[in-house]
Amino acid sequence: MMELISRYGATFDLFLIAAGFAYSQQIVLRAGVFSIATAGFASLGAYAVAILLTRYQVSPWAGLAVATMVGTIAGLLLSIPLARLRGVYQAIATLAFVEIIVSLMYFADGITNGAAGIHSIPKVVGTPHLIVALCVVLYLFHAIGRTGMGRAFDVIRQDETVGLTLGVSVTRYQALAFVLSGALGAAYGGLLSLNTYSVDPGQFGFEFVVAALAAVVLGGPRNMWGPVIGAAVLSVLPELARPLAEYRPMLHGVLLVVIITFLPHGIADSIAAARQNHRVRRDLEKLAPPVPASVSAGGAK
Amino acid sequence: MTLFFQQVLNGLISGAVYALFALGFTLIFGVQKVLNLAHAGVFMAGAFIGYYLVSIGLPFWLAAIFAMLGAGLVSVLVDLLALRQLRTRRNAEFAAIVATIGVDFVLISIAQILSKTQVYRFPFDTFPAVFFTFGGLRISLLQIVIVVTVVTLVLAMMYYLKWTTYGRQVRAVASNDRAAKLLGINPNLIYTQTFFIAGALAGMAGVLIGLSFNSIHFMMGQPYMLYAFVIVVLGGLGSVPGALAAGLIIGVIRTLGIAYFPAGMADIVIFLLLFVILLVKPSGLAGSAAVNAGGRR
Repeated sequence: MMELISRYGATFDLFLIAAGFAYSQQIVLRAGVFSIATAGFASLGAYAVAILLTRYQVSPWAGLAVATMVGTIAGLLLSIPLARLRGVYQAIATLAFVEIIVSLMYFADGITNGAAGIHSIPKVVGTPHLIVALCVVLYLFHAIGRTGMGRAFDVIRQDETVGLTLGVSVTRYQALAFVLSGALGAAYGGLLSLNTYSVDPGQFGFEFVVAALAAVVLGGPRNMWGPVIGAAVLSVLPELARPLAEYRPMLHGVLLVVIITFLPHGIADSIAAARQNHRVRRDLEKLAPPVPASVSAGGAK
Repeated sequence: MTLFFQQVLNGLISGAVYALFALGFTLIFGVQKVLNLAHAGVFMAGAFIGYYLVSIGLPFWLAAIFAMLGAGLVSVLVDLLALRQLRTRRNAEFAAIVATIGVDFVLISIAQILSKTQVYRFPFDTFPAVFFTFGGLRISLLQIVIVVTVVTLVLAMMYYLKWTTYGRQVRAVASNDRAAKLLGINPNLIYTQTFFIAGALAGMAGVLIGLSFNSIHFMMGQPYMLYAFVIVVLGGLGSVPGALAAGLIIGVIRTLGIAYFPAGMADIVIFLLLFVILLVKPSGLAGSAAVNAGGRR
C-alpha cells in the first residue's frame, strides 16, 4: 500500500484534490442549482493562498483559512443574483463568473503576476493532509445527509414548489449550498496551490469546469460517495491504459456524454437506488408474503 | 472624433459576426429549449475545415461554403450523439448542458490533436488586402464582404423561418412539439434541420473570424461562446431579432472597450454587463421570457 502511494503519489494527491472539487460541485447540484462556479472559487482560493504566502509570508494554515473565507464571501455574494435565476440562466451566470475570474487573474498583473502565474509556493500539503481533509469533507457531507439540510436540498432539487409548501425556504437553502460550495472550492484551491508549488490563471478555465463536472456526473450527483467514486475512476482510468493518458481531456468529454445519456444518475446513485429497490421489495414481501397462485385465482377470500 | 466613429464602424462589423454565431445558438434554444454549449466547438470546426480546404488549394469562397456545410454536419452530429437520447427524458435541461459540454470538449480535443496545439494562419494571399475610404472612415474589402455575407445569411434565415413551409414547421415544433407531431410533423427532422442551419451559420462565422484575426486554434470558440451568452441574454434567449441587435451592441461595446480601456478590461466589462442584465431584466431586450424560434415579430 505504502509502496503504491509513493509510486503513484502525485496521481493520488491529484485524485484527493479532484474529489474535493467534485464535492464543491456536487453540493450545489444537490440543492438543484445549475451552477458550474467551482472553478472560479478554486481560482480565488488558490490565488489567495499563493499571494499571501509568497508576498506576505503568512503561515500556510492562516492562508488556507483566509482562502476559505474568501470563497465563503464570494459564494454569498454570488448567491444573491443567482437566487433570482433558474435553470439555464444559472448555468450561464456561473460560467460567466468563472470567465470573469479567469480574465481578472490575467488582467490584475500587479497582484496575480498575470499569465505567468505564481510559482515557488512552499509545498506544505502532502498526502496525509489531503486524506485528513477528505475525511473532514466526507464527515461534513455525511452530516448534511443525516440532517434536515440534506432533506431540504433533496426536496428543492426534486420539486421547488413542493419544498415551498413544506416550508423550506428555497432561497435560503440554495444560498447555503452555494456558500458551502464556495468555501469548499476555495479551500481546495488553496490546498492545490500548497500541493503543486504553482498556480496560473489558465488552470481554472473550461477544462477545470469539465473535469469537476465529469467527476460528479460519473459518480452521482446525490450520493455522498459519488464525487469520490467519480474522481477515482477519472484518475485511475488513464493510469490503467497508458495510451488513454494522452487523450485524457477527450475521455472526460466522451464520459460526460455517455454517462449522462445511459446512466443519468451516476455510479453511486444508481447503486444506491438499486439497493433501495431491493430493500423495499424485501420489506414488502415480509409484510405481505406472495399469495399462492391458486388462492389468488380463486378471487375473494 | 473620426477615430471614435472608426471604432464604432469596426465594432458594428465584428458585432455582425458575433450575431451570426449567436443566431444559431439562440435558434437551437428557441426550438429545443436546450443550451447547446457545443456551438463553440462547431464554430471552431468550421474555421478548421475552411483552413484545411484553403491550404489544399481551394479558392477562399468555395472553402467557405464547404466549411459552412461541414460545420452544419458537425452540428447535426452533436444533436444525434448528445441530445437525441435525452429528448425523451423529462427535465433534461441540465443533462443537455452536461452532454453538450462533453461534446464540445471532444471537438476541442480532436482539434488540439490535429493541429498539435499550433495556431494556424490562412496563407498570406487568401484574401486581397484592399482598403476604401469613405469620409475619413477606412473600410477593408474583407469587412465589406463580411457585412454582405452576414446580411445575406441572416435575411435568408429570416425568409426561411417566416415564409417557407419548413420554417412554419420549425416554428410549430418550437411552440409545441407534441401538437406539431399530431399535425404530422416529424420533430426529429426539424431538430436536425435547425442544428444544421445553426451549425452552418457558426461555421461561416468561424471562417470569417479566422480570416479577419488570422488565427485559427483549438480554443478559439470559447470566448465567442461567452460573447454569445451575453448576446442571447441581452437579446432575450430564443429571440432571433434580439440576438441580431444585441450582437451589434456587444460588438461596439467590445471594440470601444478595447480602444479606451486597458488591455483585458473589455472582456471583464462585458461579462459584468451580463450579470447586470441577468439581475435587472433576465428576459432581455425582446421582452417576455416566453420566446420562440421565429422570434417575436
